[in-house]
Amino acid sequence: MMAETLVGATAAVASSGLALWPVAIPLGAAAITLLLRRRPALQRGVMEAAVLLMLTASVWLLAHVAPGRVAAMAFGGWGAPFGVTFVADRLGAALTVVTGLVALAVTIYARAEIRARRRRADFDPIFLAMLASVNGAFLTGDIFNLYVWFELMLVAAMGLVTIDRRPAQIDGAIRYAAMGMLGATFILIGIGLLYGATGTLDMASISAALAGRGPSVTLTAAAYLLFAGFALKAGLFPFFFWLPASYHTAPIAASAALAGLLTKVGLYACLRVFVVVFHGIGQPTVPGLSVLFAIVAAATMVLCVLAAIAQIDLRRLLAFHIICQVAYMMLGLALLSLLGIAAAIFYMWHSMLVQAGLFLGAGAVGRATGGYDLRRAGGLMRERPLTAALFATLALSLSGIPPLSGFWAKFLVIDAAFRGGAMWLGITALIVGLLTLYSMSKIWTDAFWRSPPRPGKLTRQVPPAMAGAVALLAACTLGIGLAIGPVSSFARAAAVQMLPPATAAQGAEQGTQQGTQPAAVERRRQPAAMQAAAVDGIPQSATAGRAP
Amino acid sequence: MSVIYAFVAASLFGCGVYMVLSRNVVRLLLGLSLVATAVNLMIFQTGRIRSPQPPLIPRGASRLGESADPLPQALILTAIVIGFALTVMFAALALRSYRDRGTLVNAGAGPAEQLGDPFAGGTGDDG
Amino acid sequence: MIAWLLALALAGSGLAWPLSHLFGRRASGWLLALLPAGLFAIFLSLAPTIEAGHTITQTLAWAPSLGVDLSFRLDGFAFLFALLITGIGALVVIYSGAYMSRESDRDRARFFTLILLFMTAMLGAVLSDNLLVIFLFWEATSILSFLLIGFDADSPSARRAALMSLRLTAGGGLALLAAIILIGATIGSYSLSDAIAHTGELARSRWIVPIMVGLLFGVFTKSAQFPFHFWLPNAMQAPTPASAYLHSATMVKLGIYLLARFEPLIGAVPHGRDVVVTVAILTMLVGAVQVLRAEHFKSVLAYSTVASLGILAMLIGLDGPAATAAMVGYILAHALYKATLFFCAGSVLHTTGLSKLRAMGGLARFLPVTAAAAAFASLSMAGLPPFIGFISKEFLFLAQIQSSWDAIPLAAAVLVNAVIVGAAGVVTLRPFFMGRGRVKEVEHGETPGLLLAPVVLAFLGLLVSIEPGWISRAVLRPAAAVVYGAPVEIELSLWHGLTPMLALSAVVIGIGAVIFVFWRPIHLRLRARKSIDRYDVEDGYERLIRFIEKLAAGTARRIQHGHLRGYIQMVLGSAVVFVFWGLIAAGRAPRLPSIDQMGALRIGPAAVALIGLAGGVAATRARSLLSTMIAVGLVGLVTALIFMMNGAPDLALTQFAVESLIVVLLAIVLLVLPVAAPSTRTVRQRTTDATISIAFAALMFIILLDMGASPQHTEVSAFYGAQSYLAAFGRNVVNVILVDFRGFDTLGETTVIALSAIFAWSLLGPRTAHESAATTAAAARGHGAFILRITSPIFFRLLAVLSVATLLRGHNEIGGGFVGGLVAALAFALLALARGVARARATLRIHPLSLVGIGLLLAVSSGMPGLLLHGDFLHHVWLDVNLLGIRIHQGTALIFDLGVYTVVLGGVLAFLFGLRREAAR
Repeated sequence: MMAETLVGATAAVASSGLALWPVAIPLGAAAITLLLRRRPALQRGVMEAAVLLMLTASVWLLAHVAPGRVAAMAFGGWGAPFGVTFVADRLGAALTVVTGLVALAVTIYARAEIRARRRRADFDPIFLAMLASVNGAFLTGDIFNLYVWFELMLVAAMGLVTIDRRPAQIDGAIRYAAMGMLGATFILIGIGLLYGATGTLDMASISAALAGRGPSVTLTAAAYLLFAGFALKAGLFPFFFWLPASYHTAPIAASAALAGLLTKVGLYACLRVFVVVFHGIGQPTVPGLSVLFAIVAAATMVLCVLAAIAQIDLRRLLAFHIICQVAYMMLGLALLSLLGIAAAIFYMWHSMLVQAGLFLGAGAVGRATGGYDLRRAGGLMRERPLTAALFATLALSLSGIPPLSGFWAKFLVIDAAFRGGAMWLGITALIVGLLTLYSMSKIWTDAFWRSPPRPGKLTRQVPPAMAGAVALLAACTLGIGLAIGPVSSFARAAAVQMLPPATAAQGAEQGTQQGTQPAAVERRRQPAAMQAAAVDGIPQSATAGRAP
Repeated sequence: MSVIYAFVAASLFGCGVYMVLSRNVVRLLLGLSLVATAVNLMIFQTGRIRSPQPPLIPRGASRLGESADPLPQALILTAIVIGFALTVMFAALALRSYRDRGTLVNAGAGPAEQLGDPFAGGTGDDG
Repeated sequence: MIAWLLALALAGSGLAWPLSHLFGRRASGWLLALLPAGLFAIFLSLAPTIEAGHTITQTLAWAPSLGVDLSFRLDGFAFLFALLITGIGALVVIYSGAYMSRESDRDRARFFTLILLFMTAMLGAVLSDNLLVIFLFWEATSILSFLLIGFDADSPSARRAALMSLRLTAGGGLALLAAIILIGATIGSYSLSDAIAHTGELARSRWIVPIMVGLLFGVFTKSAQFPFHFWLPNAMQAPTPASAYLHSATMVKLGIYLLARFEPLIGAVPHGRDVVVTVAILTMLVGAVQVLRAEHFKSVLAYSTVASLGILAMLIGLDGPAATAAMVGYILAHALYKATLFFCAGSVLHTTGLSKLRAMGGLARFLPVTAAAAAFASLSMAGLPPFIGFISKEFLFLAQIQSSWDAIPLAAAVLVNAVIVGAAGVVTLRPFFMGRGRVKEVEHGETPGLLLAPVVLAFLGLLVSIEPGWISRAVLRPAAAVVYGAPVEIELSLWHGLTPMLALSAVVIGIGAVIFVFWRPIHLRLRARKSIDRYDVEDGYERLIRFIEKLAAGTARRIQHGHLRGYIQMVLGSAVVFVFWGLIAAGRAPRLPSIDQMGALRIGPAAVALIGLAGGVAATRARSLLSTMIAVGLVGLVTALIFMMNGAPDLALTQFAVESLIVVLLAIVLLVLPVAAPSTRTVRQRTTDATISIAFAALMFIILLDMGASPQHTEVSAFYGAQSYLAAFGRNVVNVILVDFRGFDTLGETTVIALSAIFAWSLLGPRTAHESAATTAAAARGHGAFILRITSPIFFRLLAVLSVATLLRGHNEIGGGFVGGLVAALAFALLALARGVARARATLRIHPLSLVGIGLLLAVSSGMPGLLLHGDFLHHVWLDVNLLGIRIHQGTALIFDLGVYTVVLGGVLAFLFGLRREAAR
């Protein structure tokens, strides 16, 4: 049975180095910066160069896959399902680009915040390794490889959180690590069970092997454990507690990177695994997921937006908003419809940029007012109009005010919910949106309008690097909002490319251009593999892609 | 036999989880490593315990004969090493936090959640 | 063309900031007024087209895939609003220039920018045809109104009012958005004209109820209808020009605008008109009562505006052409006189600093022109001939008589209008003409900037009614025709003969006069009635806000309580619940493995396994961390044995090495930490935890059984078995998988070790120089036993050699980079234990982290040749040379494995030294 499923899984894709660089560049740079620990200036130079290179490579990759091609990298020349493969489709490539943008902003910001002391604590290699892990997770086609990247992400996050060794940071890291390791355990168990049930780790092959299979106890447990693990990484209820316990203790550059990137990886994994591997659309391999997704999403957004309203520390407040935003994407996924997935994808791009931007903005506010306590802040609008305007842009985007990207993200999700007949989900999302605006407007009146509680206390200068970083991301959210047409259609195309052809065809009928079939490939190492295949009666399979 | 292994792995999970739920950070840490061990045992069984033969291709032969499933072994090897790294990492954290707080018992909101806690009336600034 | 006008407006508002800085206090107002004035002129020049009944449209593509395009439409109704927005806008800007004379340059610039941006948003809202674009501008007006109300950001009441209006109008906006999305989902287009064209389809759709609710919620909040009216009086915190512009002339009418646009739909939906009329009447009455109770000049005007908005909504609710005509006329008339009165109120506030009516009196002496303007406006407001207000009121009554409604709206209208008459008298006669001498002097006299706006508007109010031909032809008729959907005959004239409307007007004036005369007693009587306050919705709003805050605090407390144990309980418990949920949903019973799947029972292994189990249980029972650690270590060793017995020597070796290293490292930690760990859990907590643990274990057992029973797929493993030697030149399949088939995983995992090493190093030990000096001295002293000191060098060399051997043999025999690295690390650990860290580091000669970096670099670069030669990263390249009869067959795989070896060695040493340094502190 496995034999033909392998055939079913194989879709020829061009093996090209493009998919490698977004991971290889930061990884190599991490090693180099580690060797340059005694030369902080040089270290920083290498780090910044690496980030720029990585962004360029990602853009190149995106340009390559945008027409619907799939750029694959068969590591060691062993195609799936035998080796580990990177399979960059529209979704993955676009996410690496967004990652690059966030990384760029953080790097700019770091110029002002990460001084020699933190560089001595190896901020640069840790940060680069985190970027590598995030991109790796976005590009990999192998589920165990995905787990490895998750672990790397966890360790890197630990390093970034504890960079100053403050008691709060250590304590936060312990909370983060304890829950993060449990989440990784859930994921690992799920992967093991999947291997036990299908004998392969390549996602496309697993998906093919599961096609039309009934829900056995093993598969069900695997699916739900994976969901628990990914939900923990994504910071969804009831697993999110580690996030508000740790993010606000880190330096802003670090927490902005974490806020922008990590939780989205968890959600991305949910998308990949439950839409593609478990055939979430069409005939789901495992029943009951959609309902659970919906409940989790709704509970998360309601609880966390309320919790956010109660906060008085700007960073903690934003931490709860991160979770709330992830819930919107989960909502899109819970609909298990093309529209919903497209909405979730678009939301991911938007949210990565805006969350990071808001944290950086909070950093600028903190620098200006000398703290993150909203009860002590004030007077920013008069004295720091630029900072105020930039922060306001991102806050409005988060609250879903047009024409910023945040509005379109919410619009797409709610539209998908209504069209999917999930009226109550859509209404929940709307009310939560109002509460988000409620919370953001409170920040505005407290920190920006009100004159400082201690009269005569002037605000401090905000370094241009900080303002510049925030400006970059604010420009991104505005740009996406104005270029909504192409961006949203691209999200749609990315969703279509993820889906199995049948469903994708429906998508095409729904007025979306479908990904063109990937180009054929010339396989290397043909002889030996072929021979073996002949002997073992395994049909030769090229690198399997996630392409429809 | 596989039932026995399954039972042992499952019970080790139970023990680990029970320890993870402790308030003592080191016991939590040891519980996590116990869980990690249990996971390894569990993955080992995904290859179905087939044969006591190690997956080594004997001299003269060109392909592997009857042997244990090599792939889970590779996965476990990776998992072991990662688990080791995480355990030590956590130990380092535990040591530091003991230095900071003078206790291993993690009761109530620690320094992390006292920072910017809206109900403690404390300040949101960390100086 | 329209798009360019909007672009021009936007650009102009962008220029407001620099320009007003450039031209300073005197000129900037006049200068910036050129923008709205110019736009006004351009719109005016389009009058003939509109009069001819044409519609000017323009469409630019924006996001066709979403059905969102910038489609603009200038028809009669939009034309009326465009004129009001730009015309009054110009006057407002001029007025603000004078009104803001005392503010700082920066604040004035901010105000101008906001006002002009608001004008742009308003224009966009009335000129767009795409509902989503309308929503865009709609929200923009809400935000700008928020910023203008809170303009005086230092006053808490201003901030409160701003938040109130934002929360209400933005909330309404979201409801409107829901309606828009549903409309789009129903008719497949977001175009307003399409929506009107498909009224029937909408009225029949299954979503009509939510659509109507959302729509009405949106427009009612925006145009301050009961029960959302209360934000408008509070909005009077805004600077007066803003109140005149936003909160009487334009923004509050945006809701009316959209309501009127959707009138066909309201008419088509059963009870649609009833709802609108009822809400409108309630709004009118509430407004009227509050007018009588209001004390401040501006709040009297605000509540009378509420009442007028109610009248407008009612006119939309009523059927018949006359209602539409009246609505259109009333919009114009109200804009003219109410804005004038606001300007006068502003002038009084500005020149005297007084805001309470009771304190004012005899201001005509100081502000004669303002007084005159106020008088004109009030006469118009009171609906006396020959002012426009008179005509609009005639139409109002005509509409009600002609509508299919009974007398209730009529009665309400009469009453409310009477109150408005009274109010008109109060806001003019009292402050300006009566109570002479109550105000002794004013801070400054009238300035041209303060005068122009009220005077112009007041005279317009007169002019329009005396020479009504043009306005009715070019503005009112086209507007009414658009709203009503058919040409409406509007005959503006002061004298229709003795009609019932005239009688009604007379009645209204009569009652109004009485109200005016007895204003003071009525006012005091009503103010004394606290019972009215009890029905005040504003309290409800306050209660709601308090409730939200309390709910929020409670939620935050409950979900983020700070107890790590509670969190973990939640995480584990939920995971168990999730899986159970899934199993129930799947409804499958677990399969049980058959006998041959189970495999024969072997006593030895079984016994070993059970020992491991015992170790696990012991670990949970142990009260000392040391014994716990030993128990856990035992489990590890047993696991290693299990691996050994089942054909996994590599795993066994690695596990042994790892376990011994963990023991060494944790021992260092435990030397510092308190080893005694009394139970921290109450019996009850322990039972809960035990339940969770047992549930988890049971789950895993079931799942493992089921998996053991499921058919196995070994194709991939078989492929490895077949290819390992032929294609990857390695006899140890596990090692080949690690370095070749799945080498990339290994690279990632190596990076994990590297990172955790960096982490441990930067976390542990001293950072400052003198600290490190102290600790190295402390750590230098090794505390190994004497015998260990003697033997350690030998063991060190042995282990070192062994480790290299393991590395090299790895590819074909048991071993590999990991194990090799671990063994090497053990060697150094031994040395450090015996001779102290300093000695060990001296032997190492290189910083452990540098070792890690080199290893990582090796591992990464070992993949490059393959990438260059074959195009696949980590595609190992082999060379096979015969050197002096010795056949060397090695490849980049070895370099890769060497990299792993180095990273592991460096990493473990970083842990070791770091922990030792920290422990020594």
